[in-house]
Amino acid sequence: MTERSPVSVSAGQPDRTARIASLLTAAREGSEDALGDIVTELTPMLWQVARATGLSTPEAEDVLQTVWTRLLSNLDAIRDARALIPWLVVTTRRESWRQRAAGRKQLPADGSWFAALADASPGSEEEIINADQRRALWAAFGQLTPRCQELLRIVAFVPRPDYQAVAAELGMPRGSVGPTRGRCLAKLRVLLADSSDGNPG
Amino acid sequence: MKYSDVPADGPLDGADLAILDDVRAAFAGADPMPADLPERIKFALLMHNLSGEVARLIKDESLQPLAVRGVEQSRTITFDSASLTIMIRIESNANGTVRVDGWLAPPERRDIEMRAGSEVLQAASDEQGRFAFPSVPSGTAQLVVRSARHRPDGRGRSVVTPALIL
Repeated sequence: MTERSPVSVSAGQPDRTARIASLLTAAREGSEDALGDIVTELTPMLWQVARATGLSTPEAEDVLQTVWTRLLSNLDAIRDARALIPWLVVTTRRESWRQRAAGRKQLPADGSWFAALADASPGSEEEIINADQRRALWAAFGQLTPRCQELLRIVAFVPRPDYQAVAAELGMPRGSVGPTRGRCLAKLRVLLADSSDGNPG
Repeated sequence: MKYSDVPADGPLDGADLAILDDVRAAFAGADPMPADLPERIKFALLMHNLSGEVARLIKDESLQPLAVRGVEQSRTITFDSASLTIMIRIESNANGTVRVDGWLAPPERRDIEMRAGSEVLQAASDEQGRFAFPSVPSGTAQLVVRSARHRPDGRGRSVVTPALIL
């Protein structure tokens, strides 16, 4: 927690950005394989966006099918590949909330869905953080407001080059020189630092 | 640490990104996407994609041998699309599954999928356009003739049949 140097979030994975741009071009020209590759690449991120709104598994699957189908009819409107990920994230989030409203569902009372997640058996990717860190992270995350939990879960999955555009679409303020950490991340960072000082809350 | 040490309007830095990495890893582990979801979405897109042709059922006939009990029933179905005609013959297997033999016209080698429930069975047609799925679970199924590969323009068209009850 001592590293404080600003970083450029537009750096990193330039190949991926270029690859998605060329896939998008091919998809517009009718290539099913290119469209399929985009689906394979970006659906894991959109899954998290849908689930962050509190949708059930089948509801999240329905929403994602709707979103990708809608992309098909909007392929020509998305001229700039840099607009693709923000468009997908925002459309998924809007569709998810619409689905939530249609089902008149409430998020389970604070923390209960969260406890279920925290108890879930760790997958391979989770093993990169150890059990103590994970517990501390879930504990701190659970103290955030539902809105902050949703926003942070979404932006955590957004590729770095797209962070700024997505954050702006989600209404997170940006600074004059680049993305700011924002209220939610600042809060989480303080909670984590406090818990590692043995001074929770 | 105090809020004043971590201003919300401060620039995103390495420690912030490390926290986001941990959040991503935690959720990816605790709530992973169902592994087959991208495949199911691609199939749904295929149905909607303008470059995918939807074949029309033009004939569906049961060929039931006259008054012969115990003889397996066979059914022949023909589908037509702008680029392909697909004929299939369905026969019951003793174990409750069905055998599907098919022919494409014009005949050509194509990858063919049978989507039966959550299962995706793979086959390929030969030069005569013949293909077979020896054992398909009974129930609802859909055939997808995948886009032709190695075409000069690089863009074959996939053809999808309506759902069938096998």
